[in-house]
Amino acid sequence: MEGYNTMSTDSDPIWNDNRDTTDMESIWEKNRRRIDDQVEINAMLATGTATDPDVTSNETTTITVDDQAITLESDSTLLDGLTKVDTEEDVPALCSYQKDDRIGPRSTCRTCMVETDEYGLVPSCSFPAREGMDIRTDTPAASETRDVNLDLVLRGHNLLCTTCGKNGRCELQEVSIEDEVEHPRYGVVHDRDELDPIDESSPFIQIDRNKCILCNRCVEACNDVQVAGVLRMEGQAGDMRIGFQNEAETMMGSTCVSCGHCVTVCPTGALVEQDIVEEATIPLPGFTHANSVGKVIGEEYTSRPRRMSPMYTEEHTEEEPKIDEQTDSIWQYSDNE
Amino acid sequence: MQGREVLHAAREPEVSVPTIEVGSTGARALEPLVMATHEGKTAFYPQCSLMRARDLVAALDGGSLPTNGAMAVTEHDSDTATLPTPDEGVLAVGCRRVLGACGWVVPANVDDYLTSGEFLAATAASRADEWLSELRDAGLRGRGRGDGSRDTPIADTWTTIQEISRERNSDPAVVVNANESDPNAEMDRLLLESNPLAVLDAALTAARTIGATNLLVYLNGEEDLARDRVGAAAAELTNEIGADIPIEAIAGPDEYKAGEMTMAIEALEGNHRLEARLRPPFPREEGLYGRPTLIHTPRTLAQVRALFADSGDQVGHVSGPGSRLITVAGDVETPITIELSTDDTLSLVKNAVDFDGQLKAACVGGVFGGVTRTLDVPAHANALTAAGLGTNGVVELFDQTRCMLSVAGHRAAFAEEENCGRCYPCRGGSQQLASMLRDIYDGEFNAEKIRELLRVMRRSSICQFGHDAQRPVATTMNEFESEFRVHAEGRCPNDTCI
Ligand code: SF4
Ligand code: SF4
Ligand code: SF4
Ligand code: FES
Repeated sequence: MEGYNTMSTDSDPIWNDNRDTTDMESIWEKNRRRIDDQVEINAMLATGTATDPDVTSNETTTITVDDQAITLESDSTLLDGLTKVDTEEDVPALCSYQKDDRIGPRSTCRTCMVETDEYGLVPSCSFPAREGMDIRTDTPAASETRDVNLDLVLRGHNLLCTTCGKNGRCELQEVSIEDEVEHPRYGVVHDRDELDPIDESSPFIQIDRNKCILCNRCVEACNDVQVAGVLRMEGQAGDMRIGFQNEAETMMGSTCVSCGHCVTVCPTGALVEQDIVEEATIPLPGFTHANSVGKVIGEEYTSRPRRMSPMYTEEHTEEEPKIDEQTDSIWQYSDNE
Repeated sequence: MQGREVLHAAREPEVSVPTIEVGSTGARALEPLVMATHEGKTAFYPQCSLMRARDLVAALDGGSLPTNGAMAVTEHDSDTATLPTPDEGVLAVGCRRVLGACGWVVPANVDDYLTSGEFLAATAASRADEWLSELRDAGLRGRGRGDGSRDTPIADTWTTIQEISRERNSDPAVVVNANESDPNAEMDRLLLESNPLAVLDAALTAARTIGATNLLVYLNGEEDLARDRVGAAAAELTNEIGADIPIEAIAGPDEYKAGEMTMAIEALEGNHRLEARLRPPFPREEGLYGRPTLIHTPRTLAQVRALFADSGDQVGHVSGPGSRLITVAGDVETPITIELSTDDTLSLVKNAVDFDGQLKAACVGGVFGGVTRTLDVPAHANALTAAGLGTNGVVELFDQTRCMLSVAGHRAAFAEEENCGRCYPCRGGSQQLASMLRDIYDGEFNAEKIRELLRVMRRSSICQFGHDAQRPVATTMNEFESEFRVHAEGRCPNDTCI
């Protein structure tokens, strides 16, 4: 390795910023191994993500959240405790997904940090509940950390909410409004040149990576729930993005069966149904790789037409888009600003 | 490889004098270093020419020790197991406790290894309890960023693993994390190239003590010599001690992040893309394939071996005994790896290198170390941490011409490019950090806003990478904030970057 220590003697007065944006990182000598009869869960599904340990508790515990005692059953994280009480401060926990145990915690956004006596600041979504833990949501360090991290998430987002198919149903928008973020301290992506082209190749699902918060929910939905093995994480650092296990560049070239589960779980407008205005539909989530082949693409749909993914529709019916009151702030951000 | 040529030259004359190939002493500036030994005396010839090598061999063959032009001549027992260190010069700086055999013994040679004592692993099973209490009493701590017990007492980790393995009926694994890709941290590679048996013997001892059933050596894919020598040493060790615990050497990519302990495990499990795992539970609880996993660097294992071989004798500071291997780099001609007792102060490093002029600052702890104006800090983990410095064993010396904003900026840019991408405080944080530092050149410097971000990176990143990545900027700003301000006014005090 080399590179960080070079003196800036070349023409560029500022240290160079020449991140390689094109290629995948090279893969060192293939060394996938087996030990005894342990199952290699990644052998078939190359999700590109780490195999996390089990971050939930293994016994019933009682913890205290902002002075309120809560008893949690086994297999709980601190976030399970937080959701049971009124916390002193709002904890966005943006990337967590509470509706399906098979998805997450990915613990990427760090907007769920809380303060504990024993372990300092910890991510509540992925910290096992341990007997007697005393946690607070309202210490200055916890608040600051959640706020800064939320702004870091927004920083990588284009925030073109008015033209977004998830406007009014976006979890990022929702937590930002709850958190009263008016002007993210680090701004948002505004330079058109920095934007990734939108993948509209599939007639069913559109991918706008500029809105992706890399929460990995779609990858887990596609692999751990649907076992379709289409989506993966790829690249490192600023080049990290969702991609396809068959190395296709576009959704259409992938092995997607258009089951729609990834769209259902996506918290933002990164994955949305195509042709939303024409009320085109996608099949109900729950279609698996096996039962949806041949029934999906180009078939007549029997499912009811809808503008959004069904799980969200059920929960958010009749809800007014929240954009209206926000006209002065970030949500009206446009290119020519 | 100059060394190879010199060796070749020395072997040219048709003589009966044996010539042997040893590993580095750590003092690269002296290489190719030829040592001529005759009847308990050794003459040191640094930067030895081909002609001189031939002449030396011929002279030795004639029955006398040539000393003309030697850097030093030392007297010693004729069967000494360690380098007969000269009293002066760079080899005399600090101590040579774990480095003792480096540059003296033939790497991976069993006979040479045995001159400094029996294999520890041979008796490990029967002395497990004794050694565990020795380890506990001494309070030996893990060394290096990739160690599973970095800066913390390793006896705790060994005991935890024993307990968990009993509770869960799960066989522990031992990983030697030798993929240290910080370009300046040479110590792990040095140990593997110069005395691999010492590292593997200690690793196998640990494995037998905690009841592990696999021992994996995780190497850097670019370091071929280390790889060859580990392979040879593993074969010898298996031969001598037994094959009850298979030893495998597996290489990972030459990337800084790949040395992080959970990415090491990901690489060993064969993942094509590396990112950190969540913790807790830590690898000692759930590591390689979910098994309780002991992860030590070669640096740590060398200390374990020295402790056991000296029957628990302690050197160094009581809070963190033993010694530390330190690579001295920065504005020096050739980096050198030396060993300091943990109660020595870091200022000794200046004696080991040609460093002209006055020290402006030093970065202690590798690419993500802490920047300081003084080296008057003891070499033990508590003192280094209290001084805001890193513990990853590198001391970079910066002379007066260095622009400190550029130093900090390069490291922020390194973090920005090299992180695994998994968490926002590190991926987004390092992008934002680098861009705020670049903004200084456009006149925009908001120290408080930068500090806020640095705190968040440290407190909420998933792994050590993000936790450490803020340190160079944070410490440079503490010491040299005025230099940052001057840049915002459009001037570089060193005229290096504006
Ligand atoms: S629609 Fe289904 S198969 Fe296609 S990427 Fe999404 S989850 Fe995977
Ligand atoms: S596309 Fe959506 S679900 Fe997938 S990682 Fe991005 S934000 Fe998360
Ligand atoms: S701290 Fe950095 S390297 Fe570690 S998980 Fe987060 S992004 Fe990856
Ligand atoms: S919700 Fe915990 S890190 Fe995102």
